[in-house]
Order: sequence, then C-alpha cells, then structure tokens
Amino acid sequence: MIAVLGLIVGVVVGLVVRPVVPTAVEPYLPIAVVAALDAVFGGLRAMLDGIFDDKVFVVSFLSNVVVAALIVFLGDKLGVGAQLSTGVVVVLGIRIFSNAAAIRRHVFRA
Amino acid sequence: MSTDDTPDKPGKPDPAEEPAKPTGPEGKPEIKPEDKAEDKPENGPGEQPSEPGSAAEGEGAERQRPEPKAGPAAEETPAPGAVPPSDEAPEAEPLTGRQRLVNGLWPPRLTRAQLTVALLLCVLGLGLAIQVRSTSDNSALRGARQEDLVRILDELDNRTKRLDDEKRRLESQRTQLESSSNQAAEARKQTAQKEEQLAVLAGTVAAQGPGIELTVSDSKGAVESDKLLDTIQELRAAGAEAIQINDVRVVADTYFSGSAGNVEIDGKKVSQPYKFKVIGKPQDLEPALNIPGGVVQTLEKEQAAVSVSRSEKIIVDALRPAKRPDYARSSSQ
Repeated sequence: MIAVLGLIVGVVVGLVVRPVVPTAVEPYLPIAVVAALDAVFGGLRAMLDGIFDDKVFVVSFLSNVVVAALIVFLGDKLGVGAQLSTGVVVVLGIRIFSNAAAIRRHVFRA
Repeated sequence: MSTDDTPDKPGKPDPAEEPAKPTGPEGKPEIKPEDKAEDKPENGPGEQPSEPGSAAEGEGAERQRPEPKAGPAAEETPAPGAVPPSDEAPEAEPLTGRQRLVNGLWPPRLTRAQLTVALLLCVLGLGLAIQVRSTSDNSALRGARQEDLVRILDELDNRTKRLDDEKRRLESQRTQLESSSNQAAEARKQTAQKEEQLAVLAGTVAAQGPGIELTVSDSKGAVESDKLLDTIQELRAAGAEAIQINDVRVVADTYFSGSAGNVEIDGKKVSQPYKFKVIGKPQDLEPALNIPGGVVQTLEKEQAAVSVSRSEKIIVDALRPAKRPDYARSSSQ
C-alpha cells in the first residue's frame, strides 16, 4: 500500500513541480524508466509468488537502471546509440510482458 | 506463459541438474526419472530456498524470481490449466498470489520493505512524469532523429532564403511604387502650375506683379481702335503677360471694334481715358512704348495725352469667364 502511495506521490510531484532534468542525463531517462518498470514488474511478480525480498528488489531496481543507462551511454559513444537503445527497450519489453503474464495468471487465474 | 517459460526451461536444466543429483537422494527419496525432474515438478521446489538468495544478485529481481517461480508455477499452472483441480487446492493452501496481493495492499504496514519500495517507486514515478511531460509538452523535434533534424534544418534554410527573396522583391516593388507616386505628385504639381499660368493667360483669374500703367487721355476722340490694337501688339511684343484696359481683360481672342471716340473692346464700350494695366518686365515695356516712332509718339500725334508709369505692383483683376471650346479638343489626350 505504502509502495503504491509512493508511486502516486512520485508521479504527482513530477507533474506539479516540473523538475528540470540536466541535459547530460536526459537521453538516459526514458531507458532508465523502462528498466525500472521492468524491475517493478519483476518485483510484483515475486511478491505474488511469495518470494519477495526488498533487498533483492532494491539491488535489481538500481542495477537495471544503471545497466540500461550504461548500455545506452556506450551505444552513444560507439555510434550505435539508437539501435542499442531499441534493443534494450525490446528486451525489457519482452521481460515486462512475461512478468505481466505471470502476474495475470496469479491475479486472474487465467 | 510461453514467453517466460521458455527462457526458464533452457536456463534451468543445466544448473538445476547438478544440484538436483545431490539433493535428489537426500531430500527426495524417490529418484524420479531424470526427464521428469527436468520438467520441473521436483527439482524446482528443491532449489527454491537456496536460489532466491544467491541468484538475487545474479540477475534482475524478476530474473531470479522466475527461476524459483518456475517451481511453484509449474505446480500451479498445470493445475488451473488442465490437470486436476484437486492438486491446486492443497498447494494453494499457504497463500495464493491474489491473497498475497490483497494482504500486501490492504492493511498498510509501515515496514522497511514497504518504505524502500515506496522510495524506489517514487523515483520511478518521478522519472515517468518528467519523461512524459518532456515528450508531450515539446514539439516533435525533441524525439526526432539526427537525420530528420538535419532535413528539417535544411528545409528551414531554404524557406528562409525563399522568404528573403520575396521580401527583397516586395521591397523593390514598394520603392518603385513610392517613386511612381512621387512622380504622380510631381506631375500633379506641374499640372497645377500650368493651370495657373494658363488661367492667367486666359484671363479667368486675377494676376498681380510688376509692370506699367499706361494712360491714354483722348479728350478729342481722335484715337481709333486700331491704335489701341497697335498698343496691345507692342506691349505683347515687349513681353506683357496680362493686360487690362479699363475693366476689360485683354486675352487671345480679344477684338477691337468701333470708331474713334466710340471704341468697343470685345463688344463692350470703353470710354476714354484708356487705362492700360500691364504686367511684365517694366524695363522692357516702357522703352518699347517710348521708342521714337513708337506707340507713344503715334498717339501724341493724334492729340492724345499719354503717360507711362512703372509700378512694382500692378493688379490685373478684370476677369473673363472660362469658355469651353465647342469644336477644338486637346489632341494630347
């Protein structure tokens, strides 16, 4: 419950305060958000499985974000940023879908 | 299902099998066929306790989860899927996913786990909101690729060039129009000047300027009208510009008639003394009249008294109505 509240608070703060993102970080924000979404779906699935561990969640969340940003950064340096970020998004999207499928099975039994 | 199961299975068997052999004999008395073990029912649960801790760091949270999950999932999914529902009932006893979800949601508990997760989710929501806002409130340029941006820039350059050309063209057109309107104004001015000059000549307006006054007193009535005409001719030859005799304006079609002492100008009777008001250059007009054998001498021979006086301001104010010619038309239009 508190976690859901945290999400809502974050969204509201983001919409109301309109913080300015430094331009250096800007290209990595979308990919980091997708990676974090992936981690969150994984965490939700783990919770439904009853094996949720907050330490694992924190580590996976942060490492997901960092790794995703790192990949995009490297891709930019190598000149294949656009393709690599597409690849990252595809991979993360597949994982989100599979996790969502597991969650769906838990919640709807179907 | 297929998406997450397929990666699990191939990933699983290899590491799973090795521990499976030791655990198989220990934990599970019945050594089931290896094929079945790989399928997951026995192996999965056996691994579960050890996996979550160790595998946690290895991959993302959910990567590690699917692995343990494969165990329970394997037991659960077959159950709702097709295999006996009786299996599910005992397994679901501890807690179903749905119950766990509800438990997690409703009584809000202030635990460390909830707080950390809330913090991370807050960060996620923040990033999400920022990203959504920045992509939605800006134009399409933000998400555009480099080539697109270059193309757009090129287009803008071309457009700027075109607009510059157009601007230059319009400006030159404007200067043209301005100069032509200046010309028109100039033409109007000249026309007005010309009209004034012509009006003076035609006698439709009063005129003033330097000139002479010539008075011919013909007390004996001996001056013929042709003598007056001679005077007019002489004055014109000397550059007279506007002439008036008594109150009759002398213009191009002025005519003299009548006999001596009974002179008519333009059909209008004029009595002596004849007073000429002449506008012109006085230094030219006066000598022209006074030359030997000229107008003055001729008139004096007729017993008339003639006096000529220069003046810096002669006013010719006798007018003639403007006449529109019946037949003659300007050929310049």
